[in-house]
Amino acid sequence: MKNSSVRVLYIDDEENNLHAFKAGFRRQYEIYTANSAAEGLKLLQSIDIHVIIADQKMPNTTGVEFFQSISETYPDPCKILLTGYTDIEALTNAINHGDVYRYIQKPWQDLDLSNTIKNAYDAYKAKVDLRNKIAELEKTNDELNRFIYSISHELRAPLVSVIGIVELVKMEGLFNSSGEYWPLIEICSNKLDYYIQKTLQYYKNNKNVADHIQIDFKRLVDDLVEIYAYSDRNTNFTVNVNQPSVFYGDLFRIEVILGNLISNAIKYQKEQELDKKVNIDVNVNDNNVEISISDNGIGILNEHLEKIFTQFFKSKAQEGSGLGLFIVKEALNKINGRIKVSSHINFGTTFKITIPNVK
Amino acid sequence: MVMLVDDNIIDLTISSKLIQFSKLFDEIIVFQSGDEALNYIKTNLKQPNLLPRFILLDIQMPEMDGFEFLNYYKKLPTSFTDKCQIAMLSSTLDFGDINKAEANHYVVKLLRKPLSTTELQKLL
Repeated sequence: MKNSSVRVLYIDDEENNLHAFKAGFRRQYEIYTANSAAEGLKLLQSIDIHVIIADQKMPNTTGVEFFQSISETYPDPCKILLTGYTDIEALTNAINHGDVYRYIQKPWQDLDLSNTIKNAYDAYKAKVDLRNKIAELEKTNDELNRFIYSISHELRAPLVSVIGIVELVKMEGLFNSSGEYWPLIEICSNKLDYYIQKTLQYYKNNKNVADHIQIDFKRLVDDLVEIYAYSDRNTNFTVNVNQPSVFYGDLFRIEVILGNLISNAIKYQKEQELDKKVNIDVNVNDNNVEISISDNGIGILNEHLEKIFTQFFKSKAQEGSGLGLFIVKEALNKINGRIKVSSHINFGTTFKITIPNVK
Repeated sequence: MVMLVDDNIIDLTISSKLIQFSKLFDEIIVFQSGDEALNYIKTNLKQPNLLPRFILLDIQMPEMDGFEFLNYYKKLPTSFTDKCQIAMLSSTLDFGDINKAEANHYVVKLLRKPLSTTELQKLL
């Protein structure tokens, strides 16, 4: 039975061995022979070889030296070393430097060598298959990400039109004209928009590009408070920014992290609380920035503290996508940041984050 | 006078209604493509009273998108462009788009849809 798809290259300076090898295996494999390392390299350059067998003792270049010389240019073929006598030094070298799959002693046993070639080919195939699979997965993953991105974009455009129409209904003074229907449409649209925005943030955080630019934390925090406090004017913000040093970092991810934490601090307030407070402290130095965001809101149950950063976790009593803090954690991972949380139920929650300054 | 350029007829209606309510401009002209808008400007260059002093420009449009519009816009005579401001209007959350828009010499700001007339007022 000839498995013609397996291509074996045998290099040996002794012509007799080359003939014997060819005679013994040509029915099973596609055999190429060369009487020197240089000849072997020529064959490698023109033929896609799967398994290489090389004699150790050859003039000019030894088998191990040959394997070493091609380890970067031809990493895929499986390499088998053949030697006439037990040469411990060659063996050690072969294992340590030559990326050698097996070591076979001369004279070889046909059955033994045949099995070794077969196993070597399987190892070669596994290596190549794995690489192809990884490339395929990376491509699929990339496509999926791009799909998420474009679908979110396409979905958001008409949704934003709906939100605009609700705005017009308010201006026309019709918002309360149909019972609760318009307020309900507004709530649903805003919720949908929130999900789409989180999905986009998640997508963008998955991309690996980090843009390091100079960040002015006073401006950034003020902007974010402005955006998120828009929905709730009853919360009092105290912002202290102490930035004597220039800070460089990944603005997009830092914005995502702070935005999610600030919006949570507003969202998880106690409804009856008359004095809703959020404190934001920022301290920048040459090495990092430490940011603390604390609120006097509903707090987080002790048994939930460990789970709040996992995807789709949300507490029963609260609405939310279960994505916000997960995205915060993912974004922090990408920029080597850390987060700590402490909370007392009914008294409030404090998040402390540290992000390295990459200037 | 304000000029609205947006391929989406619904958004065009919403934006012009919102501006009507805000009373920020006495006149609104709308175009569904950058091409039509540019043609209008070119044919009326000699009649300044027919020209807008503010343009709200959508980014994602077929054929000529907002950024391409800007490339043609900058070739218009400065007698007009010096007196006119442009804000881009988009549902994008893409920071790339935001930076690209605000880096453009002719664009004062990128506004998010739906148009907030208070945001718009700040630019005037």
